[in-house]
Amino acid sequence: MTDILSRTMTLEGTGKSAMEVARTRLIAAGALFLVVFMAMAYRTVELGLSATPGAEKASRNRLVQVAVARYKRSDIVDRNGEILATNLASASLYANAHKVDDISVTAQKLVKILPTLTLADVERKLKSGKDFVWLKRHLTPEQKWQINAIGNPALKFKADEVRVYPHGNLAAHVLGHVDIDGNGIAGLEHYFNGSLDDAAKTDEPLKLSLDIRVQHALADELSAAVSAHQATGGAGIVMDVNSGELLAMVSLPDFDPNNAGNEPENTRVNRAAFRVYELGSTFKTFTIAAALDDGIINMEDSFNAVKPLNVGPFTISDDHPKKRYLRVPEIFAYSSNIGMARIADTLGADRQKEFLSSLGMLKPAKLELTEVGRPVFPQRWKRLSSMTISYGHGISVSPVQLSTGIATMVNGGRLIPATLVAKNIDTNFGENAGSGQIISAATSRKIRQMLRVTVRQGTGSKADATGYRVGGKTGTAEKASGGSYDRDALISSFVGVFPMDDPKYLVFVLLDEPKGIEQTFGFSGGGWTAAPVVKNVILRTAPLLGVKPSVEDETLYKNVALLFED
Amino acid sequence: MGSARMFAPRRTDKNWWQRLLGLNWFIILLILILGGFGVAMQYSVAGGSFEPWARIHLIRLLPTMLLMLVIAATDIRIWFALAYPAWIGGLALLLAVELIGATGMGGQRWLDLGIARLQPSELMKVATILALARYFHGLDFYQSRRLFNLLPPLFLIAVPVLVVIRQPDLGTGLMIFAVGAITIFMAGARSYIFWSGGAVLAITPWVIWPMLRDYQRDRILTFLNPESDPLGAGYQITQSKIALGSGGMSGKGFLQGTQSQLNFLPEMKTDFIFTVVVEEFGMLGGFALLGVCLIILGYGILIGLGCRNQFGRLLSVGLSFTLFMYIFINVGMVMGLLPVVGVPFPLVSYGGSAMITFMIAYGLILSVASHRDVSLAPKGSGLG
Repeated sequence: MTDILSRTMTLEGTGKSAMEVARTRLIAAGALFLVVFMAMAYRTVELGLSATPGAEKASRNRLVQVAVARYKRSDIVDRNGEILATNLASASLYANAHKVDDISVTAQKLVKILPTLTLADVERKLKSGKDFVWLKRHLTPEQKWQINAIGNPALKFKADEVRVYPHGNLAAHVLGHVDIDGNGIAGLEHYFNGSLDDAAKTDEPLKLSLDIRVQHALADELSAAVSAHQATGGAGIVMDVNSGELLAMVSLPDFDPNNAGNEPENTRVNRAAFRVYELGSTFKTFTIAAALDDGIINMEDSFNAVKPLNVGPFTISDDHPKKRYLRVPEIFAYSSNIGMARIADTLGADRQKEFLSSLGMLKPAKLELTEVGRPVFPQRWKRLSSMTISYGHGISVSPVQLSTGIATMVNGGRLIPATLVAKNIDTNFGENAGSGQIISAATSRKIRQMLRVTVRQGTGSKADATGYRVGGKTGTAEKASGGSYDRDALISSFVGVFPMDDPKYLVFVLLDEPKGIEQTFGFSGGGWTAAPVVKNVILRTAPLLGVKPSVEDETLYKNVALLFED
Repeated sequence: MGSARMFAPRRTDKNWWQRLLGLNWFIILLILILGGFGVAMQYSVAGGSFEPWARIHLIRLLPTMLLMLVIAATDIRIWFALAYPAWIGGLALLLAVELIGATGMGGQRWLDLGIARLQPSELMKVATILALARYFHGLDFYQSRRLFNLLPPLFLIAVPVLVVIRQPDLGTGLMIFAVGAITIFMAGARSYIFWSGGAVLAITPWVIWPMLRDYQRDRILTFLNPESDPLGAGYQITQSKIALGSGGMSGKGFLQGTQSQLNFLPEMKTDFIFTVVVEEFGMLGGFALLGVCLIILGYGILIGLGCRNQFGRLLSVGLSFTLFMYIFINVGMVMGLLPVVGVPFPLVSYGGSAMITFMIAYGLILSVASHRDVSLAPKGSGLG
């Protein structure tokens, strides 16, 4: 090291000018130092003093100032305030076509950014020479940024709003969807289009009766069953039997309302409200209720179900034949068509029609949807029709109609129309009081007993969610095809209510053409396919809905159980 | 000449331990206080928690201080001999991470030292000054006034500046350039170079303005008047000024700053830490912090004034200016005097790179101080 340094490090005399320059420059540097530090100090004072009151205020005000964005259409929320549909700011792309100079290059760049457009289409629009041509509506922010980066002044954006359904397919049939300009064209969006667009109250959301958690549980269980049984479709409903509020309404297959235009047509049908089905044995509830309520039959009465019943060219037979006389609860629990036909015969066709009419089965349900199915029933409602209708054949209604009817049977006999809009607690009682009493509270209690017994020891045992006192009825109907019934194409359903000692909620599940599988020993009826779905839905949603499991009061069903022979 | 006369000390050489004890411990204490204050501020911006920043800041502070003391007590002749190798080594590291960063490792431009990540561009600031001081030490006063002799130092500055700007890190590049220019100025290059250079810089805006595009002008105008776009480009500065103003005379109190505790401030723990200081400790707190820095850096300038050899003089002044640049750019930035370029406040801002640079640089300054009477004077420098 010392060798390296030896060349340079020797003492020499000082030169005056060198000393001066070095000192001057050091002092200049030191002065610069001081000046800059003073400038920083001065700036601290300047900001600190001059800005104190205003800045303090500004920094506090900022804590409470939340910009409220106003959009052109109200949100739709579920009963807990969860957003189901909302508007977001977006931008749409248009062009001033006679200002585009390099059409093919611009078109290529656009198609690269917006792959849903075709090159020919974009070029045609850009060549049109019009002052205004839409190129693409509702861009994402990234697309807008990329198009901006093209830098073509003829491409312009129009501030726009896009309707977004954050839950996607969930509740799609209830919510419906909007067209490209934001007008509701299906579902609630269509039914309430006017009030959702009301400029004076777009900050008030439309609050539905739906509970998106329940909706999810129902959709999840139902779609699992649909795929397990390779069904062509499914429908499901969860309803508050005392208020008529629908907590969930599912139709499968479903669609994404964010992209409704590109979804297949059959996914958009609401199978829970628009489709009507021959629902089968669940209808037995109505026939028995009418006969009991009129006092024509008693619970202890028994009817001949020894062998199939011939009515003209038609034969009525049982799926679970007991080949003996059956008491009324047995007819119900074992789902005897023969016994049912005999009760209907006792009741009479006219009274049956009148009863079903009062229950709202003969006209479309009053629901807040435009897609509500019109029931189908025979014009000439004679003896044979009456007998088949007694067990749910020859009349087609929508699931929501059936659910409303069953709710009436169990809630003490009051008909409360189904609704998709959250009810105000205050008006709830008023509406209930004004609604029609269809059957007596005593008859309603007997129906509840029979529904519960059907699940405890009859055809609905697979719906028995332990602890939740489920009552219910299976429904299995052969699908009518070209004038006759098809033994292999079934509509399998189950309607369950819980807890049966104080009915709160109804769960209805329907599978369209389910196939029997190994786990169901090849059976595809409602008791095997739909009942387990109802059970799972109850197990998942009862805790959410505040229904506690408890030990059952056996005395409630004792007198009915005594009527069973085996 | 024999090696015994080489350094011709006026007093007898001290050993390592004596040099360590002879350091200015008041200044070292101030540096410790500055770093400790940094720990407190990191505690505050984490909402009153040692995690995640204050603890690591403390863990980094102690070993880097030790590093500073080791550098300070080491014989300056070793640093003298290592000046050019340091420049070459720094440049090699710079190019190495550039290549590695370009080919793999996801664009990484730093070395992992365990307690901190070090950017070679930070080391290069110190190495460039070392090399420049070494170069001018070898020239006498008249040589250093010759224009031709300015070519090598220009090379020493230009190479790292270009590499760093290519990274791209314009801020660090300009900083190396500015500190290099000051070192050349201190070395005694003719003053007209600096006058004319300053004049060119002063005219530049008027020449360039008509050549700019509209959006470029917009950016410059937004910098000059951030309130014109308070939610966009001017957001950080507007929030920072609100915080500075709301601190008042004595501040809102430790952990009480609403702008900082409620996260209105951007990059609080790093670039905008000075804003937090002023919001929580007020103008007086800001003064105190700047005052401590002024003493620490002013000491470096005084060392330069009192140093008897050209190498030590240029080194301590150049390094003092480097550290000064950090503080000036950082404080100028948060006060809206300079554009937001992301330069930390040494020892107070979170971040290991700037801390290591500070400690190495100040270690060298202290080493100059303890060797200020050692004569490393070049032939004919006229300086003893």
